[in-house]
Amino acid sequence: MGNGDYLALAAGAANTIAVSVLAIAIGTPLGLGLALIRWGQIRGLDSVVAALVSLLRATPAVTLVLLVYFALPTIGLELPRFAAGVATLALGSMAYNCEIWRAALLAFPPDQLDAARAFGMTRGLRLRLVVLPQIARAALPALVNEMTLLIKVSPAVAVIGVIEATRAAVRIGAATYNPIPPFLVALAIYIVVVGAFVATQRMLERRHRAGLFA
Amino acid sequence: MTAFSLTRRGVLLGSAAALTMTAAAKAATLAEIKKRGYMTVATEDDFRPFEFTKDGKPTGYDQELLEMFKTKAGFEIRQDIIPWTGILPGVTTGKYDAAVTAVLVTQERMKTLDFCSPVVESVDYYLKRKGDKKIQGIKDLSGLPLGVEAGSAMLKMLPQLDDMLKATGGSLGKIVSYQGYPEAYQDLALGRIDYVVNVWLSLQTIAKEKPDTFEVGEAVSKPTYIAWPLLKGNTELLALMNEFLLGARKDGSMYALQKKYFDTTYEHMPEAPTANV
Repeated sequence: MGNGDYLALAAGAANTIAVSVLAIAIGTPLGLGLALIRWGQIRGLDSVVAALVSLLRATPAVTLVLLVYFALPTIGLELPRFAAGVATLALGSMAYNCEIWRAALLAFPPDQLDAARAFGMTRGLRLRLVVLPQIARAALPALVNEMTLLIKVSPAVAVIGVIEATRAAVRIGAATYNPIPPFLVALAIYIVVVGAFVATQRMLERRHRAGLFA
Repeated sequence: MTAFSLTRRGVLLGSAAALTMTAAAKAATLAEIKKRGYMTVATEDDFRPFEFTKDGKPTGYDQELLEMFKTKAGFEIRQDIIPWTGILPGVTTGKYDAAVTAVLVTQERMKTLDFCSPVVESVDYYLKRKGDKKIQGIKDLSGLPLGVEAGSAMLKMLPQLDDMLKATGGSLGKIVSYQGYPEAYQDLALGRIDYVVNVWLSLQTIAKEKPDTFEVGEAVSKPTYIAWPLLKGNTELLALMNEFLLGARKDGSMYALQKKYFDTTYEHMPEAPTANV
C-alpha cells in the first residue's frame, strides 16, 4: 500500500463519518417525531407511520439507496449522490429509532403524567420538562447501539458511488490483488469511529449518574 | 491470488431487473445529447484490468478507450464511477446513457440492453493439475468432478461442455460450485476436484503463476463477448459508439490497449456481439 492508498482511505473515512453523522443527526429526531405520533395515537397518522416504519425496516439499505438514486429521478426528484446516501441512511435510522423511542415512551410511568396534569402543565410543557429528559436517558443505550449499526450499514451507499472507507479498501484491494492490508486499515477506522460513539455514551451516562446522586 | 475474472456478471441481476420494472427509462438519444451538450456514462472502480482505480484515479482498458472516445465524440462526456451493483440499474433507468464497463453479453441482458461492438472476446477453458495423466483431452473429462464459480456465466456455459461430452458417449461429472475461484484452484491442487472451468485469460494467469501445479487444457465453450451496454433502442448513439470502436480496431489502437492490459489481442471478433450464453 502506497501513500496514495492511505490518502484514499482517509478520504473514505471522512465520507463514512460525514454520511453517518448527518444521517444520525437527521434520523434520530425524526424517529422521535414518529414515535410521538404513534404514542399520541393521532388518528389516521399513526397507522400511516406504523406502515412506513414497517416498510422501511423491511427494505435492505442497498435496495433503498438504489431506489433513491436511480428510481426517484424518473418521478422528477433528482438527488446528488451524497444527499441520496444521507437520505437513505437517515430513513432507515428514522424507522429503527422510532421503535426505540416508542419503547421508551411505552415504558414511561403514566402516573407522572397525571401528576403533571394535576399541576396544570400544558401538553408541550409536560413533554419537554417531564417526558423527554427521562426517555432520552432510558433510550440512550439503544439509540447508540442503533448508531453503531448504522455506521456499519453505511458501506451500502458505495453502490451509488459515494466512496466511503470500505469501498476505498475494496478499490485498493482490486488494484493491488492484496485485499487484506486495506481491509485491516478500514477495520481500524470503524473501531475508532464506533469507539467514539460508545465513549460519548459512557460519558453522558456518567454525567447523568453524577447529576442524580449529587 | 487470481488475476481477474469475468465471472461476477451473473449475480446481482435481480436488483437491476427489479428497478427496470419500476422505472420508465429516459436515456438521452444522440439528438438530445447534442442539444444538451453532454453524455453521461458510468464506469466501474474495481474490475481490474478493465476499470480500476490507482491512487484514486480511474484507469484500465475500458478507461483508456473511454478517454479516446472523449476526444472523438464531439460533445462532453460526464463520467460517474460506481460499483458494478449500480451500473445496470443506472443504465436501465436512464440515469446513464451508456455504461463504459466490461459486461458479458448474455441473451437475458439483450432483452433490455443493446451492446456496442465487443471490446474483448472470452472463451472458457479447463484447468487441470500439472501432469494429471487421466486427462488427455476433452473426452477424458467425462464423469470427473469439476469446480466452477457459483452463479457465474461459466456455470451457465457448462451445458455446452456436456453436449461435447455426450457426443463422445460421456457426460458431465459432479459440479462443485465455489464462492470464488481461489478456493476452486486450491481444491484442484488438493485433488478434491479434477478440473476447473473458467475464462482462458484467468486460467492462463494462474497457470503462469504456478507452472508446477496447474496447466491449461482446451476450450470447452463457444466464445462469449464483453461489450459496453446502453438502453435498448438508442440506435443513433449505438451507431456513433460503434463507429468509434470499429475505428479503434482499424487503426490498431484497441489492439495496442489489449496487448497492454491482457498481454494478447483479439483481432477476429465479429462487428456485433452475439450472445452465446
